[in-house]
Amino acid sequence: MFPARIEHYARPRTVAEALAALSRCEPGEAIFLAGGQSAMQAIKSRMLRPQALVDLQAVAELKGITLTGGALTIGAMTRYADIARDARLGGAFGALTDAASHVGDRQVRNRGTIGGSVCWNYVAACTPTAVLATGGRMNLGATSGATRSLAADDFLLGPLETARQDDELLLSVSWDAPAARTGSAYAKWGLVTDALPVIGVGVSVTQDASGKCVQARVALAGLAGGAQRGPAAEVLLMGSAGDAATIDAAFAALAAEADTHSDLSADADYRRQLIQSLGREVAQRAFDRARA
Amino acid sequence: MPVVKLTVNGTRYEEEVPERLLLVDFLRERLALTGTHVGCTFEGVCGACTIHLDGEAVKSCLMLAVQADGHEITTIEGLAGDTLTPLQAAFREHHSLQCGFCTPGILMNMSDFLRENPDPSEDEIRRGLVGNLCRCTGYVHIVRAVKDAARRMRGEA
Ligand SMILES: Cc1cc2nc3c(=O)[nH]c(=O)nc-3n(C[C@H](O)[C@H](O)[C@H](O)COP(=O)(O)OP(=O)(O)OC[C@H]3O[C@@H](n4cnc5c(N)ncnc54)[C@H](O)[C@@H]3O)c2cc1C
Ligand code: FES
Ligand code: FES
Repeated sequence: MFPARIEHYARPRTVAEALAALSRCEPGEAIFLAGGQSAMQAIKSRMLRPQALVDLQAVAELKGITLTGGALTIGAMTRYADIARDARLGGAFGALTDAASHVGDRQVRNRGTIGGSVCWNYVAACTPTAVLATGGRMNLGATSGATRSLAADDFLLGPLETARQDDELLLSVSWDAPAARTGSAYAKWGLVTDALPVIGVGVSVTQDASGKCVQARVALAGLAGGAQRGPAAEVLLMGSAGDAATIDAAFAALAAEADTHSDLSADADYRRQLIQSLGREVAQRAFDRARA
Repeated sequence: MPVVKLTVNGTRYEEEVPERLLLVDFLRERLALTGTHVGCTFEGVCGACTIHLDGEAVKSCLMLAVQADGHEITTIEGLAGDTLTPLQAAFREHHSLQCGFCTPGILMNMSDFLRENPDPSEDEIRRGLVGNLCRCTGYVHIVRAVKDAARRMRGEA
């Protein structure tokens, strides 16, 4: 299959040029092209028929990983391969490298980007869930020159839906400097190695000096509602010592409550099992990283 | 129509291309480099179309030809010089292909993989191969060849 007719192709070199290229098009006519690992599927299958493409590949200021005083900023055009091999991103940001290093396959990781992934917000995807679990913020710039910053919880609205407006470009995803003794992790189960998650689980926890859990965020991938928090597990983890019994109970509660569905990949009960078993493994790893 | 200037297998090209032309179709139909195969419809899951874009393995069916402007591309036709690469030789010796449809994509992916990981474990090789489907071999001989090629490229017997 090949794309329907495309009238314009632009390859801006700066954010200002990218926004200018977008503002020259009618609203909804143009789309940004990041890694193309989802957009090109949609364009080839003609689910998307953009009149114009604004290719972000040459916008250097959208690429790169910056750590300043513990705070992390990842440019929207930073690829999975670059996130996966950044040795600085353990501990509090471990969920991001866990997710990035198992997206699809190495060809996809050489091209796909964090920005493309959160803007696409596919119903079963790794990065939106890892970003939600770690409490990332989406930094957007509009053609009007306005900028705004949205928490992942407010940005990720549902499958293929985000709070991004048509005239906005995602510039970066960023995280405040994490509290001491914070750890995060992500894991998924799919039909083949590194496949899209049938279920994916992301967890971020912070412990105080006595080992008590004072911050817990749990996020799931693979439910019909898309990337979402798991408050049923969070409340049980909070205040606990991050011990195995509490973790068990937390993910049993989340599995019991989660709105799982049946499809060709797995039935609803199997998805509950996955939430429990992956949740145990991921939470354990998050606490281990918090203690390290 | 946009004009793309790019290097493919060491040769410079300057061509007018419609915006919607896929890179894989440009390579196959314009440049007659038909060693790059097409194995899926729109999903980008089979890896048969894998090429090197500035030295890195990517799927050429998920890119437009216009996006390759200013870049350097290597296809299977450009992988070997006068003699086969150690990876290609190992594929031949280990019977790592049957119909051969998947082979160009696998060689392009695995040559990039070995550059990044010169001493891979079997597990790492299998994970590296996830983006390439082979419907004939069952992968066993492919994994064996990649392992053997890695050994030879490290200068071990
Ligand atoms: C074989 C295969 C396997 C895969 N496996 C997985 C997997 O296991 N897990 C997983 O999570 N994903 C998987 N994916 C999807 C992959 O993660 C995509 O890379 C991702 O969904 C989209 O990122 P991209 O950079 O390719 O963006 P694109 O496809 O280029 O863009 C996606 C959308 O986001 C918009 N967009 C992109 N960047 C911006 C920006 N900066 N500002 C505003 N809008 C923007 C585009 O306009 C488009 O609508 C797989 C894909 C393939 C082909
Ligand atoms: S043709 Fe199947 S991945 Fe490109
Ligand atoms: S040898 Fe036939 S598909 Fe791999």
